[in-house]
Amino acid sequence: MAEALVVQDLSKRFGGLRAVQEVSFTVRENETLALIGPNGAGKTTAFNLIMGFYRPDGGSVRAFGRELVGLRPHAVCALGVARTFQVAKPFGGMTVLENVMTGAFLRERRPAAAHAKAREAIAFAGLSARERSAARDLTTIDQRRLEMARALATEPRLLLLDEVMAGLNPAEVDQAVALVHKLAARGLTIVIVEHLMRAVMALARHIVVLDHGQKIAEGNPTEVMNNPEVVRAYLGSSGHR
Amino acid sequence: MSLGGRRGAVAAIVVVLVAVLPLMVKSSFALDILIRILLFAFIGTAWNLLGGYAKQFSLGHAAFFGLGAYTSSLLEVNYGISPWLGMLAGGFVALLASLPIGWLCFRLRGPYFTIATIATAQVLMLIFLKFRDFAWGAEGTTMPNLGDAPLMMQFDGKAAYYYVALGLLLVSLGVTAWIERSRAGYYLVALGEDQDAAEAVGIDVPRMKRDILMLSAFLTAMAGTFYVQYIYFIDPNTAFNFSISIEAALVSIVGGVGTLFGPLIGTVLLETTAALLQSWLGNQAGVQVTVYSVILMAVILWRPTGITGYALELYARRRAKA
Repeated sequence: MAEALVVQDLSKRFGGLRAVQEVSFTVRENETLALIGPNGAGKTTAFNLIMGFYRPDGGSVRAFGRELVGLRPHAVCALGVARTFQVAKPFGGMTVLENVMTGAFLRERRPAAAHAKAREAIAFAGLSARERSAARDLTTIDQRRLEMARALATEPRLLLLDEVMAGLNPAEVDQAVALVHKLAARGLTIVIVEHLMRAVMALARHIVVLDHGQKIAEGNPTEVMNNPEVVRAYLGSSGHR
Repeated sequence: MSLGGRRGAVAAIVVVLVAVLPLMVKSSFALDILIRILLFAFIGTAWNLLGGYAKQFSLGHAAFFGLGAYTSSLLEVNYGISPWLGMLAGGFVALLASLPIGWLCFRLRGPYFTIATIATAQVLMLIFLKFRDFAWGAEGTTMPNLGDAPLMMQFDGKAAYYYVALGLLLVSLGVTAWIERSRAGYYLVALGEDQDAAEAVGIDVPRMKRDILMLSAFLTAMAGTFYVQYIYFIDPNTAFNFSISIEAALVSIVGGVGTLFGPLIGTVLLETTAALLQSWLGNQAGVQVTVYSVILMAVILWRPTGITGYALELYARRRAKA
């Protein structure tokens, strides 16, 4: 299968902190890859580097054959890469519909066409009942739905989901997992950053583990879970126990 | 009557009333207040494009006002060029000036942006104060009095100025209404709400900011030209006065930022209040400003979304009940 995203030797430091160190991984088209690791491992930083929110100190990011390093986020989005945020960032004063229309305007200049496309994305995300609500009034799960609908409206081929499960109750996690499955079934390539292992196991066959900015493991769920490096990173070194 | 029909009828009455107002109002004082209302509503509407929709809170719009005022004045006094043309020239000068101003100020966010905009207007005022050979320095100059010369934007009586100001306001309202409905309107509100999220859905935020500042600057400069023509006088302190920047922001805040009619409603409220206070309390120095300030604080404290915002909330609540 063709490669959707190729990250190679990606590095970023903030002062003395090496947030991401020579990380490489490849996401194939239509694949769902999970990027996991303890807090501060550099997962969100990796997303920010891919989207162009930060400029990497070294390395390259290619999506569908195009180099993304040096592009600003809006240009990355125009190339078909969309993301959601760990802390949802709705356009609070706008309604749900207006939020998603803002995404749809990337490909549809006319308001009527953007409106139609937005409604479709909202329906897909299961948010039609809240279409007219102010985005700031949404519950956590609905904010996540909104973020996904808004990203979807930009017609991405690659979707980066940053901890969409955070703050959800178990029932809501199931709903969110179902929604991500639906996105994957649409043919989207998806990279998720996720803490919740239940969701990771349900969604991804391909996992990359980061710790202190470095890739320490990669493989399918069983391989990764049995990797001693991964166990150490998550549970701490067992020497003192 | 249906809601749409009723709204249409109200609109028709307002249009007729606004059109014949100067024919009914004979007092020069009252007409002056009306012209000020139209002028500041125009400036506020121009400010609102940047400060209201895109939430880039400028307190430096006097820079563009002053550039518009000086461009048309220099063209008229030195070359006899009609202020009608000067008004457009001033708009373009302000538009060009907005590029470096925006380039500098938009690097900053929030209050830092605001402070930077204040500085640009002050710097321009100082430039026009210091370089006497260029534009009359601190003394300023009076506009040549040509009597009734409509082609030179000079009129007998104030009614004509009223219509010019009304025309400017209608242009800015038309432009705003059009933007509000278009993609640009959504993009402006989005970047004002959250820049990162806006970038992530494909909005070129720096470009949007630059473009809306250019438009806002152009319109504000037109107001500068009109004002000089109206008062027949220009000096740096008039053209770049900080109070213009404040008024532009205030009328929008009171009326409702990011709404089409907010600045107009805010201006009507503030200007009439100021005028009434002046006629009631004019003799006691300071009292007028105090009362005015208290009203402002009250609005900002209890109705931070402005009058229009409050009305929209009430309307939404009533609709939700029905």
